[in-house]
Amino acid sequence: MTATIVAQQAINGIVLGSLYVLVALGLTLIYGVLVQINFAHADFVTLGAFSAYFFMHLLGGGYLASIGVALIVGAVLGWLINVSIFAPLRHKGSELLPLIATIGVSVMMQNAMLAWFGPVPYAFETPYSQQVFRIAGTFFTAQSVIIIVVSLATIALLYAFMKFTFLGKALRAVAQDRETAGLMGINPNYLIMLTIVISSALAGMAGAMLAPVLVLTPFAGASVIVKAFAIVIIGGFGNVEGTILAGLLVGLIESFTTQYLDPGWIDIVVFGLLLLMLAFRPTGLIAERREENV
Amino acid sequence: MSDAATAPEIHARASGSRRLAFLAAALAIAALPMVLTGNYWQTNLTVCAINVLLALGLDFILGYAGQLNLGQSAFYGLGAYVSTLLITKLGVPFWVAFAAGVAFSGIAGMILALFAVRLRGHYLAIASLAFAVITYQILLNWISLTQGPLGIYAIPPPPSIAIPGLPVIDFRNPVALFYLVAGFTLLVYFILDQLVRSPIGETLTAIREDDISAASLGINAAAWKVFAFGVGAAVGGAAGCFYATFVGTLVPDAFFITESFTILSMVIVGGMGTLIGPVWGAILLTLLPELLRDLGDLRLIVYGLALTLVVLFMPGGLVQAAHLVRAKLGFAKAAL
Repeated sequence: MTATIVAQQAINGIVLGSLYVLVALGLTLIYGVLVQINFAHADFVTLGAFSAYFFMHLLGGGYLASIGVALIVGAVLGWLINVSIFAPLRHKGSELLPLIATIGVSVMMQNAMLAWFGPVPYAFETPYSQQVFRIAGTFFTAQSVIIIVVSLATIALLYAFMKFTFLGKALRAVAQDRETAGLMGINPNYLIMLTIVISSALAGMAGAMLAPVLVLTPFAGASVIVKAFAIVIIGGFGNVEGTILAGLLVGLIESFTTQYLDPGWIDIVVFGLLLLMLAFRPTGLIAERREENV
Repeated sequence: MSDAATAPEIHARASGSRRLAFLAAALAIAALPMVLTGNYWQTNLTVCAINVLLALGLDFILGYAGQLNLGQSAFYGLGAYVSTLLITKLGVPFWVAFAAGVAFSGIAGMILALFAVRLRGHYLAIASLAFAVITYQILLNWISLTQGPLGIYAIPPPPSIAIPGLPVIDFRNPVALFYLVAGFTLLVYFILDQLVRSPIGETLTAIREDDISAASLGINAAAWKVFAFGVGAAVGGAAGCFYATFVGTLVPDAFFITESFTILSMVIVGGMGTLIGPVWGAILLTLLPELLRDLGDLRLIVYGLALTLVVLFMPGGLVQAAHLVRAKLGFAKAAL
């Protein structure tokens, strides 16, 4: 019996974890090229979720297509925040101003969604939430299969893009040394824009997959993003492998905390771990050799 | 500053006008409840004073030591809960509980800073955000102590002060409570003003501008960051103590992380790195939504919009705007 519970919670943890990975990867990619945090990333997740919801429930679209819609909404939001916040502030050379500006955007977006959509949770039903599979006493829905498959495919595609395409290599070059990359004929502004668009598209997409699993409210993204921050730090800022590992870890912590302690303890356990990491291993799970630019 | 002979003169003149400014502020505080009569306005005045206190505390950490602290809501909440629990559970006298709440918040701030001083800007922002989330969750979930979401009710006002020969000061009277909070806020402003214009202030500014260069001059940057966090968090804690006794009830939601962003907006809109800026920022952002009552729940949209627009177009906030206006009017020299 206990083994089944453990297996069941492991499945739940991996489903949650892969969604957290999608959200956290966006944050870490942006940090990699820009050394900035987009605080409104959370609200891109939420707006992605709402656009998928309305695409399905108002326009009668299919669920898989609605994930695509959320992806596009996320990408557009990413383009907008780059044009309006990150690009104009990049030249002011302040470390904190862009972060503070995106906090403003986040507060604005969250409360605008609250005004439009109201605080009552939306029931995001997909045809896949009802289909249940049972294997050896554990059960999972087709929805969780979709989440794991889409997340894995996205992460693999992203990985291949970064490793094998010219753009991906250029992106990593910008992350390592923006000025030298610029001297090699790479346009850093274009690549930074591209990174923010890709990251935000991931966030929107994650929203469309999260909403049927969690509750869909204007604060759905905010509850995920604080965990995504923790994941990014536990995994090491800008470190893709570390982020994936940490994302799955946090998903597992969450499901096992729910099972053996109390859901109220999730944030306390996750953030306690975060503070411990900051105290003892601020480079993250997988330490990366990095030249510090002093 | 450049001419050694005139420097003391300038300083004397500056401190003279400072004394005048403090006198004017004290008079304004004394006059406000008489001008703005009625319960509604007097309540708002006290809310303003509490928010000014919160903004001053955050500004000392953010504007002077350059550390983005997103955990001010937690220090606010810790001050409120520690003082209230001491009063309601243990029957500790108000002012002792007040001191304990302030000290607890200050020490919590220093411990968080000890964790975080080795980290640069963004890590600290997230660590402090994590601290705010943990504190909120503990307030919410430690039901045997805090009664969680049910809240604590009937928190008494500070005890009356009876000085022989004078009328008794009864803090159940909202005007008396306003004088208490605003007077304390003015005192904090005075102390912080002394602090930032002392060598300590210059040290903090040096660390804010470039902590590695500051360290190479023999400044213990880590220790000073811890100090700044302790002071700013303690001021936030004091605001919490006043909040609890002013409102009379405590629920964890008052100290959700959104509160940190609200306080941040006040500091940024007013002008971080100045003390007078956050005062005006706090007053403006407290009263503006009250004046635009019809907006209802859109209050936070206004805050978010103000925060973003100020960072983009006027990063020095109201203080910078005031300087620009003065320069336009041809008083450029006076402004400097």
